Amino acid sequence: MTAVLVIEDDDRIRLALLLALEEEGYTAYGAASAEEGLRRQRQDPADNVLVDLMLPGLDGFECIRQLRRDDDVPIVVVSARDDTHDIVAALEAGADDYLVKPVAIKELSARLRALRRRARAATTPVAVQVFGDLEISADAGEVRRAGRPVAVTRTEFRLLCELAQHAGKVLSRQQLLQRVWGYDSGDERLVDVHVGRLRQKIEEDPGSPRHLVTLRGLGYKLQR
Amino acid sequence: MNRLGLRARVTAAFAIGALLLAVAMALFSYDLTRRSLLDERERAAIRVAYFDAAIVRAGLDTDTADVAEVLRSLDTGSSRRPLVQRDERWYARSAEIGASSVPVELQRMVRSGEPAVQRIRTDGQPVLLVGVPLSPTVSYYELTSLREVEQTFQLVGLTLTAVAIMVAGSGAALGWYATRHSLRPLTAVADAAERIAAGDLSTRLDPATDPDLTRLSTSFNRMVEQLVRHIERDRRFAADVSHELRSPLQTLAAAASVLDRRREHHDQRTAAAAGLVADEIARFQRLVDDLIELARTEHPVQRERVDVEALARDACRTHGLSETLVLAAPSGNGEWLVDRRRVAQILLNLVENAVRYAGGPVEVRLTCEDDGTGVIEVDDDGPGVPEPDRELIFARFVRGRAAHARAGTDGTGLGLALVAEHAAAHGGRATVTDRSPGGARFRVELPGCLP
Repeated sequence: MTAVLVIEDDDRIRLALLLALEEEGYTAYGAASAEEGLRRQRQDPADNVLVDLMLPGLDGFECIRQLRRDDDVPIVVVSARDDTHDIVAALEAGADDYLVKPVAIKELSARLRALRRRARAATTPVAVQVFGDLEISADAGEVRRAGRPVAVTRTEFRLLCELAQHAGKVLSRQQLLQRVWGYDSGDERLVDVHVGRLRQKIEEDPGSPRHLVTLRGLGYKLQR
Repeated sequence: MNRLGLRARVTAAFAIGALLLAVAMALFSYDLTRRSLLDERERAAIRVAYFDAAIVRAGLDTDTADVAEVLRSLDTGSSRRPLVQRDERWYARSAEIGASSVPVELQRMVRSGEPAVQRIRTDGQPVLLVGVPLSPTVSYYELTSLREVEQTFQLVGLTLTAVAIMVAGSGAALGWYATRHSLRPLTAVADAAERIAAGDLSTRLDPATDPDLTRLSTSFNRMVEQLVRHIERDRRFAADVSHELRSPLQTLAAAASVLDRRREHHDQRTAAAAGLVADEIARFQRLVDDLIELARTEHPVQRERVDVEALARDACRTHGLSETLVLAAPSGNGEWLVDRRRVAQILLNLVENAVRYAGGPVEVRLTCEDDGTGVIEVDDDGPGVPEPDRELIFARFVRGRAAHARAGTDGTGLGLALVAEHAAAHGGRATVTDRSPGGARFRVELPGCLP
């Protein structure tokens, strides 16, 4: 059974989310603060984490950063804040997806399913693909730059594999949203922020990328 | 009334002022010059006339004097013409002048023993007539031509007129130049206001540029700061309201989904009640979303290059419609310089409106007009919007007659209001007309497409 950790300080929201997620067939745990959630995740790691941004003590952004330090667990932000700054900051901190309250449970469940699918290693026809000093081995779920392993999250890995599968071809943001996040239509910032984070890890100079390039108005492309 | 601009008026005032001043100066100097020149000429003429008169008198003292002979002996040059009257008879060197040249008044004065001077015109020429009594029966007259003096006056007059015109022209130029300088701060204020309207809220005027304009700059800046505070307060309020309303809605949505999952465990009445709760939560959620959006419509438009065609296709896909409904005119590169979020919502709301009240759109058309106006048209083949409702339908919480008839009260009544507000924020507008053969055509004009 898939375990979900819900880090949410509002007791009623947390209780309602736990009830609804259990009804959907998940094993759900709650944490009322970031500190409690981090402790729980270290002791008994869940498969997915839902995080609210406004938390007492450590806030949601810091919570995501600390979770990300230890783990590549898929993190979904569920927040009442829909400011562009918050969305981008949360994604940059390491969140995989951002949903604005109130989220329909069906939608939440669909997002978690998409993340789980993504979390499983992508099945690429070629086991190891090489892009200059960049090496992607799909089976092992590993990325190496100049021979050294690079720590990427599962979503980043999935995004990289998707681009690698279509090496040299442009994928639009909407195509990437569909294939990596399972969205029919969604917020393109999700793609942009993840591409930015991926560049920090795989590019020598993230400011002027060699492998993961932007084609203005079209999308992204992975090249040698 | 078509009033002249400030600058034109100031320039005209400068020109008229300069012209008046120049004309006054010119008239004054003309008069002064003319008077002193004439006086001097007159004095000289009188002096010469007396000298000539003395010669004539000496010549006539002899008994056998012939007047004509005496006159001929005078050395007068071409500009002076002597004339003698003796015993009612006139003597001159040529026939062209005679008694007719000398006014009767003057003759009487001279005959009574008074020397006299008068300016007259003979044959259209200005002359100075000097009359000198020689004896009770003999009078001497001399006509001195003033033609040269007159020519000098004409030259002086012409010169002064030219100077006056030049001074007026310089006055106009000075006015134009001065207003350019004095209007520069106003231009700066206008530029700053335009930048603020376009969304750059960090724009301020530099109060240090000119001590005379410090007040304008500081009050302008204070006004902008108040505006920014106001917008910031609105933004925070909207954010707070959004947070406070959305949090309980999350609890409700999660709880309702549990009830929905357990439908088969409920009796019929409980299930019906649970269904109502779920439906109303969904409606309340849409209402909250629209209200929050409406609170934000006052915010500045953030224009960027947006592929509107892709947004239109997204809007169709979101409502489960075919993307082939979207027809984009081939003109332009398909990108508009608009606010992505707002235009996405315009398209979503128009498509949703058609789905909700007219059985779905039949066409979503995007065109770019030559003047840079992007046009979004959503056609449906529903009942259409009656003439009297066409403006009202874009007001908040108003639903058209079709809405009441066909869809109950499912909509929030804010969808089209948002469309109109977003269009207005772009400096455009939203309208609805009839579509032939039937149905409604919603049209949104947004300045900012790239032709």
